[in-house]
Amino acid sequence: MAGAKYPTEQLKCWNKAKEIRENYYKNYAQAHDKGGLRWAGGAWSLGAIPAGLGDDVYPITGEPYGASIAFNKEFSIRCMEAAESKGYARDLCSYMRSYWGSIILNEYAFGGPFPKPDFMWQDHICCSHAKWYQVASELEGGVPVFCIDAAAGPYDEVTENRINYLVNQMHDGIAWLEKTTGRKYSDEKLIEAVHNECDATSTWAEICALNKAVPAPLEEKSMYALYVLGTLMKHSKIVADFYRELLDEVKDRVKRGIAAVPNERCRVMSDTQPPWGFLKIFRYMERFGCVSIGSLYTFGLIGVWEVKPDGTWGPRTTPRQKGLKIENRDQALRILADWNLSKPEWQHFYSPKLKSEMMIRIAKEWKLDGILLHYNRGCEGLSLGIAENRLALQKAGYPVMTFEGNMGDEREFDEARTTARIDSFMETLGLKKLE
Amino acid sequence: MFEQMQNWYDKRHAYAKEWKKNHPGGKVLGCFCTYVPEELVYAAGVLPVRLLGSHEPQSVTEPHIFGMYCPFCRDVLAQGLQKRYDYLDGITISQSCLHIRQAYTSWQMHVPTGFSYYLPMPNCVQSPHALSYLKGEFLAFKNALEKWTGNEITDEKLRQATELVNTNRRLMRQVYDLRKQDNPPMTGLEAMYMVVSSQMTDKNDHSKLLEKILKELPGRKMDRQTGARLMIIGSEDDDTAFIKMVESVGATLVVDDHCTGTRQFWNETELKGDVLTSIAKRYIDRPACPSKDWPERRRLPHILKLAKDFNAKGAIIIQQKFCDPHELDIPAIIKDLKKNGIPSLFLEFDVTVPIGPFRTRVEAFLEMIGQDDLF
Amino acid sequence: MAKEYWRWPEYRMTVGEKDWKSGKIITAGIDVGSVSSKTAIMVDGELYAFSLMRTGSNSPDSAQKTLNWALETTGIAQKDLHYIVGTGYGRINIPFANKAITEIACHARGANYVWGNTVRTVLDMGGQDCKAIKCDEKGKVTAFLMNDKCAAGTGRGMEVFSDLLAVPIEEVGELSFKVETEPQPVSSTCVVFAKSEALGLLRQGWPKEKVLAAYCSAMAHRVVTLLEKVGVEKDFVVTGGISKNVGVLKRVEKELKTTALPRNAKYDPQLAGAMGAALFAKALVEKERK
Repeated sequence: MAGAKYPTEQLKCWNKAKEIRENYYKNYAQAHDKGGLRWAGGAWSLGAIPAGLGDDVYPITGEPYGASIAFNKEFSIRCMEAAESKGYARDLCSYMRSYWGSIILNEYAFGGPFPKPDFMWQDHICCSHAKWYQVASELEGGVPVFCIDAAAGPYDEVTENRINYLVNQMHDGIAWLEKTTGRKYSDEKLIEAVHNECDATSTWAEICALNKAVPAPLEEKSMYALYVLGTLMKHSKIVADFYRELLDEVKDRVKRGIAAVPNERCRVMSDTQPPWGFLKIFRYMERFGCVSIGSLYTFGLIGVWEVKPDGTWGPRTTPRQKGLKIENRDQALRILADWNLSKPEWQHFYSPKLKSEMMIRIAKEWKLDGILLHYNRGCEGLSLGIAENRLALQKAGYPVMTFEGNMGDEREFDEARTTARIDSFMETLGLKKLE
Repeated sequence: MFEQMQNWYDKRHAYAKEWKKNHPGGKVLGCFCTYVPEELVYAAGVLPVRLLGSHEPQSVTEPHIFGMYCPFCRDVLAQGLQKRYDYLDGITISQSCLHIRQAYTSWQMHVPTGFSYYLPMPNCVQSPHALSYLKGEFLAFKNALEKWTGNEITDEKLRQATELVNTNRRLMRQVYDLRKQDNPPMTGLEAMYMVVSSQMTDKNDHSKLLEKILKELPGRKMDRQTGARLMIIGSEDDDTAFIKMVESVGATLVVDDHCTGTRQFWNETELKGDVLTSIAKRYIDRPACPSKDWPERRRLPHILKLAKDFNAKGAIIIQQKFCDPHELDIPAIIKDLKKNGIPSLFLEFDVTVPIGPFRTRVEAFLEMIGQDDLF
Repeated sequence: MAKEYWRWPEYRMTVGEKDWKSGKIITAGIDVGSVSSKTAIMVDGELYAFSLMRTGSNSPDSAQKTLNWALETTGIAQKDLHYIVGTGYGRINIPFANKAITEIACHARGANYVWGNTVRTVLDMGGQDCKAIKCDEKGKVTAFLMNDKCAAGTGRGMEVFSDLLAVPIEEVGELSFKVETEPQPVSSTCVVFAKSEALGLLRQGWPKEKVLAAYCSAMAHRVVTLLEKVGVEKDFVVTGGISKNVGVLKRVEKELKTTALPRNAKYDPQLAGAMGAALFAKALVEKERK
């Protein structure tokens, strides 16, 4: 671009990320061909646990699958109408409705009939989590479901009693997995998966922390395609390795001053899942020189963080980095419970105050000029308390733009109106289109 | 006969203020959900009152709760923001759905009281580990109540409080039992006033009145036809205008599955061994809110049993608009009832309901389940 | 005065050929809807006379007017009627009716009379709401769903559009097919929004017929959603004022992939509710005489 402030480059890892995602959906569909197992659960499922059943156990996580459906508008609307015709309300989680619709229509978003899972492995913190798979199991004609109640936070109030509640359920879950699949469980594989999960989710946080740099080496629209791998199989070596590779590349970009948006002159963050069918709104903002450096959603849905000695936010130190050797199942499960309970996107379920604090921290440390809040009708879990977040951010002195929409139901997103809002928000921030 | 209960419900604030006057130093605790263990609250010498809305249009909650959450949680928060509960000494919530949680957290931030407590009630009440977990959380809640009030909560006090709460539950069940009769001696509206008033008055007062009612009720003659026997199922419901309308067009509500009804008082605490564990067991075992009814659907057999025991010929299924937990149960409930020969009518509630159009639906439903002699 | 494009014709007819005096049971069904009021006079369960007119400002007057008009020239006086059943939105405000029965039950019963006992699904598209009704071989309701949250997909909504586009309401349906390719339905389901969306389309240079096509198909989509929830079983029929609008009707059939039974030339489908009410009135007389 003529007169660009910063140099820019394509991400080298880009195609690899795409490939991992494609293989993931293919492997799930084809698992049975090689005698493997298929399981279904949420993006927050404690996937490290079924990893102990063997290397040929392939998951499909519901939220990213629902988002994949949202990209195909024709299929998406058919899925949602199929769920509605079965009597499910239109205001329910749009990922969940899309997922159910895909089962009802028996169409897989990646071709062929919907591959029925052998079991369902879910966790529960949002009201819809356990119920999602309760209904999915009914629609599939009775697939066995195990669900771990993880709503025992917030992390700053976690006690032994609360950790025990999670860990005891996890132990039951392992016994259930053995019984349900008839397989012998490997603690060794569990321990490896726990390490992988800690590594992957901490590395992702480290990558996001690099976006504090000006110019930002990454912008949010691309980050979605990268962070999604953590929502697919955060416990896998493939993802942990990929994030390490990506980390090196992003470090290099920062060192060389490579920008994601060559005309970066204004930094914002978003909040909650975007309307997936309309990611072009991010490109639209770039025309004003405005970069979205991420969000609590992209940083903290999968990324695990801690406050560093200097008071800033950085990746949580992993058991491996601490030189901790995990000796047995119970220890592995305790670490897994504690690790997950510290996830940033699990905190606001208890109070919007906790989320506002994290958002204000991001605004400061990532040097933001403004914030866009997506009042997301598709997700009551992540939109929880969002109106209070708006008040808190404004009180902290940040310009806030809100827009209503739905991550997975395009009938609830008004593109023209949103673009108009962006125009006036950019004007508030003193920006004009760079033509 | 139930006028006093209606009066308590209508004038809940006057009642609580009067209670404080008569109990010098006594504290009143606002409860956002019926999973709050009343036994512990009474043992601390505190009056628990359930926070409900007022069914009036309002505009004060818009900056605090995004419009996709249920009208009930917004109506409740509105009461706080409008300072109608200014006499409360504290608030508490027992973890249940996300919607009402927002009313609690916004209240906590914008309507400060001296005490607020988030009780992490397990969602997986079906897990064998929920009991010991909840016992541990009740212990923490007990400690917090002690610290707040300065009153020690002994096992003896817990036993007395349990007896007090149990008596009230038992008496309400005795009243409900009379509704099984061919011609129930009371209306569903009266039953609703009875249960909601029990959630906002001192159980001593409420039980005393219940004992008096129970003496007269079996011989009471109703000056109305029973008509179709209906059950009502669903989310929070204290929409007395709606209930009144249903019972004015040829039906009587004979039983419910509401947290303003049976879900709140159905089972008693059985004191066996450790007191806190006994109380925790009661809350684990109570008829579940849909947000806690998983992985098995235990509500279905329970609802069906209620329908059979009370000889309900049809069911009205209501839901607060946007109430996800109920939206996730209702299709299964409708199917299960239908399979068992019980037709149902589904209605979506807002802060106020459109009585005219709802009346048409209710009448059409009654015509559907009756009037065979016209064909 | 500007032309009122929305105004549909009011009319009355005597269709009975026998002498009503030889009948054993003379009944009336009065359907006071939010937009139109209808009366069906029946002699021994056969349609004898009827009227259809616009609902006025109050239900009792509208009921009386449509009854009077139906009886006009028949020689039947109101006192000759053995029983009157009121139905429709204004049913509870007809002081001289013997009983009120909902329009849901009456439309099912009326559809059974008009099309026969094979009818299982009735779509009633009325002035301010629409209803998807399932019924058995006797015309008794077995399930129903009603949408009255907004006027889109209803007669009132169609009237607003006919006025906005200056197209006489009876021509809306035919005109909406005079497009080369079917446009996307208007996305707004609320009449107020749909109206502003339509104005926007006109400004963009869309011809009237294209805007009408987009509106008719949005309307059709809404009622199809309702129908699918209740589950469509054959035979399927459509009653109410909008059933006369082919622009909506054909699109409903297309999206549903089911054809409705053709209109029975003998009966106006907008009268189904009033006829059902008159039939219930007959059953009630028989019950009393037993």
